[in-house]
Amino acid sequence: MGQQILNGVFVGSIYALFAVGYTLVFGVLDILNLAHQAVFMLSAFAALLLVSDAHLSLWAALPLAVVFGGLVGIALERLAFRPLRGRADSNISGLISSLAMATVFEAIALQIFGPDTSRFPQDTFPDRMIRIAGASASLLQLCIVGISVVLMALLTFLLARTRLGRQIRAVAESPRAARVLGIDIDRTIAMAFFLSSALGGAAGVLFGLAFNSISPDVGRSVELKGLAVIILGGMGSVPGAVIAGFALGIVEVFTVAHLGSSFRDAVSFAVLFLVLVARPRGLLGPAAAREA
Amino acid sequence: MAPARRWSLVVLLFVASAACKDKGGQAPAESTGAAAPAAAVIGASLSLTGPAAVYGAAQRAGIQAAVEDLAGSGTKLQVLIEDDASTKQEGITVFQKLINRDKVSAIIGPSLSNTASAADPLAQQAQVPVLAISNTAATGITDIGNFIWRDSLTEAQVIPGAFKKAQEKLKFKTAGVLYGNDDVFTKAGYDVMQKALADLKVQVLGTQTFAKPDRDYQAQLTQLIAPKPDVLVVSALADNASSIVAQARQLGWKGAILGGNGFNSPAFIKNAGPAADGVMVGTSWNSLSQDAANQKFLASMKKAGISPDQFSAQAYTGVMILAEAIRQSGGKTGREDIEAGLGKVKDFETPLGKFSFTPSRDAQHEPSVQQVKDGKFQIVP
Amino acid sequence: MDLLLAYEGLFAFVGINGLLALSVYATLSCGQLSLANAGFMAIGAYTGALITLHSPGVPFLLVLLAAAAMPAVVAVPLGLPVLRLRGVFLAIATVGFGEVVRLVFVNWDYTNGALGLVAIPQRTKLWTIWLALAVALYLLGRLRGSRAGYALEAIREDETAASTMGIKTTAHKLLMLVLGAALAGLAGGLEAHYTFMVAPGGYAFGRVVDMLVQAVVGGTAAFFGPVVGAAFLTVLPELLREAGARLGFSPGPFRLFLNGAILLAVILYLPNGLVSLPRRLRRRRLA
Repeated sequence: MGQQILNGVFVGSIYALFAVGYTLVFGVLDILNLAHQAVFMLSAFAALLLVSDAHLSLWAALPLAVVFGGLVGIALERLAFRPLRGRADSNISGLISSLAMATVFEAIALQIFGPDTSRFPQDTFPDRMIRIAGASASLLQLCIVGISVVLMALLTFLLARTRLGRQIRAVAESPRAARVLGIDIDRTIAMAFFLSSALGGAAGVLFGLAFNSISPDVGRSVELKGLAVIILGGMGSVPGAVIAGFALGIVEVFTVAHLGSSFRDAVSFAVLFLVLVARPRGLLGPAAAREA
Repeated sequence: MAPARRWSLVVLLFVASAACKDKGGQAPAESTGAAAPAAAVIGASLSLTGPAAVYGAAQRAGIQAAVEDLAGSGTKLQVLIEDDASTKQEGITVFQKLINRDKVSAIIGPSLSNTASAADPLAQQAQVPVLAISNTAATGITDIGNFIWRDSLTEAQVIPGAFKKAQEKLKFKTAGVLYGNDDVFTKAGYDVMQKALADLKVQVLGTQTFAKPDRDYQAQLTQLIAPKPDVLVVSALADNASSIVAQARQLGWKGAILGGNGFNSPAFIKNAGPAADGVMVGTSWNSLSQDAANQKFLASMKKAGISPDQFSAQAYTGVMILAEAIRQSGGKTGREDIEAGLGKVKDFETPLGKFSFTPSRDAQHEPSVQQVKDGKFQIVP
Repeated sequence: MDLLLAYEGLFAFVGINGLLALSVYATLSCGQLSLANAGFMAIGAYTGALITLHSPGVPFLLVLLAAAAMPAVVAVPLGLPVLRLRGVFLAIATVGFGEVVRLVFVNWDYTNGALGLVAIPQRTKLWTIWLALAVALYLLGRLRGSRAGYALEAIREDETAASTMGIKTTAHKLLMLVLGAALAGLAGGLEAHYTFMVAPGGYAFGRVVDMLVQAVVGGTAAFFGPVVGAAFLTVLPELLREAGARLGFSPGPFRLFLNGAILLAVILYLPNGLVSLPRRLRRRRLA
């Protein structure tokens, strides 16, 4: 039982980190960025290249790959979202545009790395097991949970206490009002994308380390889980995404334990469905999910 | 209303012309010439993209190595490799291209059993021989018709013997089973494993599944390990397999692990690292075989810089078998000639061992059981 | 016409993809982004296949009607709770539905799980597909000019305004969801009897994404736009098969890249799709 809880926390921390970036962009732009999972994947590959080809230590490669993710996010915004900003159907066209970019990114990764899974070299991280209350966890897993939590805490702090955070929240609330207040919308949105993609990229690197298995399509399965998490947490709510991420991780693990693994993925979608039908705003989301 | 009317007219005209053509029936299968000494043209439908891209890449490497190795001999082959994108639609499109436009004499592939069930009937109708090199579904492949052949042993031909040998050595009575339920390879493998375990009177304490894209198996493994079975039985492809084994060891599992065909790859050992030690595998390709044919295959793959695995071995063998079929029909490279030649292939030396076809055109050769020791596969006597 | 024989598969898939693109268009035409159609297609395909395999005597027309009807029936209890959601939420809910359908088929022993149903007799001919497509186009074309069609457009423009004008928005949206489901199911049934087999892998999320992309690239301004998009995007990879190889790209990444690039170009610069191209060019020339 303890082991399962640990498993759940571990996988939940990665879901949460991924979802936090996802939900941030939705909160700010009202657009579902389907290229988020591609940034997740590209950052994982970036970290891999830095460690295996450039022979950097993991502790150097990680922040670099995260920043790389953020920069890809800025490029993404400039290329695929900004031109659509004025349009009436911008959330659907934004969704499609991000889908196009995700496809392009995956194609590039496929061309460069091939379809096989790539892995970090064996000695990238010390291989040590730790026993906690009768369950075992690897040092790597504990570090990943720790890093995820720290990153999410940093984001929350940034949003709540810094000027950039206030600007982002203002634009999320109402772009028009924000502009009237003199906030540089373009720059703020770009920064929001940077943060969102940097975190998505971090999730990718940690995922790649955790399961040591990176391939161009690695983002796809996480993407669908990520959707369940942000719906459960409430679209646009960062703390909601955090709670929902851990919750989903634990629920999944216990579903496997008691109902069998065939139901594991179905559970994410069942949760998604129930939430959308019964309480579309999710746990902590704003109340604007239904048509008037 | 004008545009709608115009378009409907266009569509109806098209429908009419298509209906007319259809009444005419299929064009007769063409033979590529009786005494042509030039290279025989073979088509290959491989999953170069999509979920099965990993096998496709290995298969392409095997085919190319074989074509090169044949270049010096009397029987030359030219292989047109097409991507069937792991989907049945592309498989059908590729088969039609190979059969009707490129007019190939035979087709190798497709990589996936699902694609094969959709595309092979076309070849059967057109009387073009198909040699499957990785279809492991127990039924639905060679039963399509007499032009469909297969050089890949099904799990049903490998697992029972492998498990029996494993039980002689390990003497296990209970097992926990984990298998991938969304992939034909691993699901077919599981069906066979389940029966083999029952025949050996092994009690299955728990069964869990996973999906191919999954990377985290700890929930399932924790459940399986809890009742302390004697052995863990896993039906998975190499990628999932290495993560599964690594995570099992991490969770503290020190017992034996039995794997199916999917484990049979040097990539498995490389990626699972020390966790792979002790894993026992039933395989259709004995990587350690000292036979000349296997050694030549290994050398060619080494020259190409690609690490050999079961998929490339079976693909390489496929090309060799087709060359042998041509030789058996006196060098003739027509479709019927190759079909007849395939029927004459017997005890042919291949990297897979001495190869023959069964009366139902399935593969027949000695499978083997291997165990990982000190980071390398070793034959279990 | 040897050409037809060599390319028969291509023509068949253009037709089937055309039906699928139209099924997504059905809900897009009233402003709803429903991504459930891979699931509907799967239901139709399996229904048709099961009937043919277990009762081979049933006439093909009835089999196809069943393949269209089953998902249509399922669409009703799906639509009622889900159509209340706006934009992205509806899209996500329907994606969830599609995945659940796929997972059901993967885990269901009666349908052989991942292995699927094989050896389905090939009852679909090229003309069957194109006849179905013609009928679908006719229906949608008639719908356009009718009162229901205007209602749909009103809903797409501004749902709140439309409902205040007395238009029964939920009923209309549900109708289009059901119509889309029927079209997708029909396409599924046709495809199952053309490709000899069905398996859950063919109905994953990527499938509905393809449908959406084809509908959007073709253009949703005209009711036949999606078919244009389907034709274009089904034929293009074949045409480029040679070109890509010569350029030294691996065929797979090249095709994927092209799909993404075309989609991006269309959504950014030609938002009403390929069918709006003639109008754009004409305007350019006049200006």
